[in-house]
Amino acid sequence: MTLRFIVLICAATCALAVSDHSYEDNRCKCVCPSPAAVLNDTAAADRSPFMKSANVPPNKCNCESVILPRVADQIKGREQEFCPRCECKYENRNTTIIKVVVIIVIWVIMLLVVYMGFLICLDPLINKRAKASYQEHTNEDDESTLGGPSQQMGARGNVLNRVTHQQDKWKRQVREQRRNIYDRHTMLN
Amino acid sequence: MVDITAGLHQATGGSVTTPTSHGTFQLYEHSTRNSNASTNSYIAQYFSSSAEAHANSVSTSEDMETIDLVSEDTEPLVTIDHVGDAVLFSGMSADDDIPGIGQYDDFHTIDWQRDIARDRMRHRYIVKKRQDSIWDLIKGAHDAWSGWVCVLLVGVCTGIVAGVIDIGASWMTDLKFGICPQAFWLNREQCCWSDTDTTFDTGNCSQWLTWPQVLGGQREGPGAYIISYLFYIVWALIFAALSASLVRMFAPYACGSGIPEIKTILSGFIIRGYLGKWTLIIKVVGLILSVSSGLSLGKEGPMVHIASCLGNILSYLFPKYGRNEAKKREILSAAAAAGVSVAFGAPIGGVLFSLEEVSYYFPLKTLWRSFFCALIAAFILRSINPFGNEHSVLFFVEYNKPWIFFELIPFVGLGIIGCGISNSDPLCDYNRNFTDVNSAIEKAAAGPGVYRAIWLLVLALILKLVMTIFTFGIKVPCGLFIPSLALGAIAGRIVGIGVEQLAYNYPKVWLFSGECSTGDDCITPGLYAMVGAAAVLGGVTRMTVSLVVIMFELTGGVRYIVPLMAAAMASKWVGDALGRQGIYDAHIALNGYPFLDSKDEFQHTSLAADVMQPKRNETLSVITQDSMTVDDVETLLKETEHNGYPVVVSKESQYLVGFVLRRDLNLAIANARRTMEGITGQTVVIFAGSNQPLSPPPCLMLNRILDMAPITVTDQTPMETVVDMFRKLGLRQTLVTHNGRLLGVITKKDVLRHVKQMDNEDPNSVLFN
Repeated sequence: MTLRFIVLICAATCALAVSDHSYEDNRCKCVCPSPAAVLNDTAAADRSPFMKSANVPPNKCNCESVILPRVADQIKGREQEFCPRCECKYENRNTTIIKVVVIIVIWVIMLLVVYMGFLICLDPLINKRAKASYQEHTNEDDESTLGGPSQQMGARGNVLNRVTHQQDKWKRQVREQRRNIYDRHTMLN
Repeated sequence: MVDITAGLHQATGGSVTTPTSHGTFQLYEHSTRNSNASTNSYIAQYFSSSAEAHANSVSTSEDMETIDLVSEDTEPLVTIDHVGDAVLFSGMSADDDIPGIGQYDDFHTIDWQRDIARDRMRHRYIVKKRQDSIWDLIKGAHDAWSGWVCVLLVGVCTGIVAGVIDIGASWMTDLKFGICPQAFWLNREQCCWSDTDTTFDTGNCSQWLTWPQVLGGQREGPGAYIISYLFYIVWALIFAALSASLVRMFAPYACGSGIPEIKTILSGFIIRGYLGKWTLIIKVVGLILSVSSGLSLGKEGPMVHIASCLGNILSYLFPKYGRNEAKKREILSAAAAAGVSVAFGAPIGGVLFSLEEVSYYFPLKTLWRSFFCALIAAFILRSINPFGNEHSVLFFVEYNKPWIFFELIPFVGLGIIGCGISNSDPLCDYNRNFTDVNSAIEKAAAGPGVYRAIWLLVLALILKLVMTIFTFGIKVPCGLFIPSLALGAIAGRIVGIGVEQLAYNYPKVWLFSGECSTGDDCITPGLYAMVGAAAVLGGVTRMTVSLVVIMFELTGGVRYIVPLMAAAMASKWVGDALGRQGIYDAHIALNGYPFLDSKDEFQHTSLAADVMQPKRNETLSVITQDSMTVDDVETLLKETEHNGYPVVVSKESQYLVGFVLRRDLNLAIANARRTMEGITGQTVVIFAGSNQPLSPPPCLMLNRILDMAPITVTDQTPMETVVDMFRKLGLRQTLVTHNGRLLGVITKKDVLRHVKQMDNEDPNSVLFN
């Protein structure tokens, strides 16, 4: 089989790439064999030249208008053989979404790691005394028992109290889950 | 009362099947128990709007179809007394009275009939209220479309989350190799997106810096190799360790693929927190981390879990679904379809997967919602366009070569290989990336070393098999689909190369003579890889229809449906011959979940009397309808551990009145002590039948929590029928009577244990209630 190279022709049409021209959101991607292969020059191992062209509108994304001007000298008038072997595709992407998503993912992971570090290192020191009371509640709280205390607390307590309460409840649940998964091996073993 | 029931039948006569309307009257009577005078007006109101009644019965007839089906099939011995409707948790008002009624404890089985009846009550209440004001009309309309809105939201969120996972995982995967310094959020492909130097060979470009380059060295050379190696190892270790510790710290339920549990939950089981917020967050983050660490796992199973979490969380926005476990499972079925839809870019495959593999109760309404949900999710993912091309999955292949009839034989052979592998260990987990396979193949195809490629592929097969077995046991979010697909693709490729060589060396054999005589490459090894992938996945999971649809949606190869079908079928046959269950069912059995498989048949000749509790010489704990005190009831609750108690007229007669759940009883007594005055240990508890509620010491009326329409069977009912009832009606328990007198109880656990016993397995492996 002939060597197939990918020739990337990129069109800068997106406003996002004003400052940095190399990260545009549109491109015209043409995959062509190397001109040497088309010309039956089996000895030629050199790569086909890679070209860059700006501002290719979608309807101009084809071999005739993108590739041929660049390789005209190599092809020497054999366009009829070369162009049918090229595949040109106009593609879109959105770098803003990628940027936002990756940054959010990094933030979430960092937050979780920090919180995990807090729970492992600092939290046992802060409330040692509260630990004994967790152990008594082995059953899951249902809404009835939760409804009572939290409402009472809302009346007299502040936001901090409620947050601590929620956190304790959550910790109990996690402990229960951990017992199911890691100790008793009743799940997913 | 009889007259009214008959009248109701006439009023709703226009509908296809009249649902068991006889319960309606009781229900309205009880929901207005304090003012008996108004009962008539309620009924009058109900009848005054025949159009409403009609609409009502149409909407309920769907739910009741299964019941009708059963009652046709069952033998005359069975007495399905009152189905569903007469359950007395009369919609909104009762729920407000005693908080927690209608919920279930952790690791308990839900009662589908009771929940569906509760929803019907709620629906009737809304329909009735609709006439009162414009606001109620709007609320009624909102209630009617809330199912579709909820499914829409689930689809949108699933698509977004899948996009986040795809983008995050591809970025982190490439982080092991290098970084794009000008825009660190781009992965290698996106970084070189607009670079003109890119070739298929390396994928590197000038903007993308590998780690040795970042540190100032060159791209090539032994030093650079060592640095790359170290960075790769360190990053992979960090990702994997982070994933495992996040799972351990925040949400242990996020480990594993989650499909066995989803399957159990959908069959009517409660695992608190399994579909919660933290599980969702940790599963998403952990999945990104563990996929990018290069572990031998896939993201497809966890995607189903993530979608189900989203379905569960979003269903709380709609009380119709959030507060009703049976209704919630309709949303979860649709969510599972959306999960597969985004994982494979296969919307129809997702719907079929939900239907064939995970769902238990799947009426047509749910089918359409699943379809819609899968559509929306796939659309959103496509719009996000995470891979920068128009495909929403990473491994899109396109084959357009024809296959010849003879090739069906090796395809079937691949099916056999597929399940042979799967049966060596149902818990195993295989791992090899598609990219790895491709690189191995291209190396081989490039040089003369086809044999070297085969040797590499065999090595890869073995390594992946071993690695996957280990990986699947790690407590990180991990799926089995991609490893199985990869394993099958390797095996398929080997077979494909073999057949290709055969056709090349013996082109004159009659099998090949027709198509291959031209000397063109008539056998496509890649096609064999595709079929092999389907075969192994079919052997592991025992899917057939959904698997084929997923495969051709995944690969875009519609013309290969027949080979895929042949391989899937052969794989299923051989798999079923060697071992009984697919991996998910095996997991369920290992964990002891109360999952009553609707695919199995019960073929033994035992009777209900053999299975029921209590056995001989034991007494049945019952509650009398109007003669026990609060102390008596509390003693009973303390001394026994049953989850429900039959209510009888008196201990001597044992005539059945109804059934009351332990949890409801506890809650109701606690609630009464809190809210009512004069409740002491000596207060008489009255469930039903009492005609003198005006005795001087106030009595505790608990008729609201009493299920007046428990399903009963006689003691001579064959177990086949009983098992069928449990499956099709989704029962939690049924009461056994003899000559009209209560004899015992059969719970789902009893049925499961009995099935296990009959199959010569350990009945104690059924762990939960």
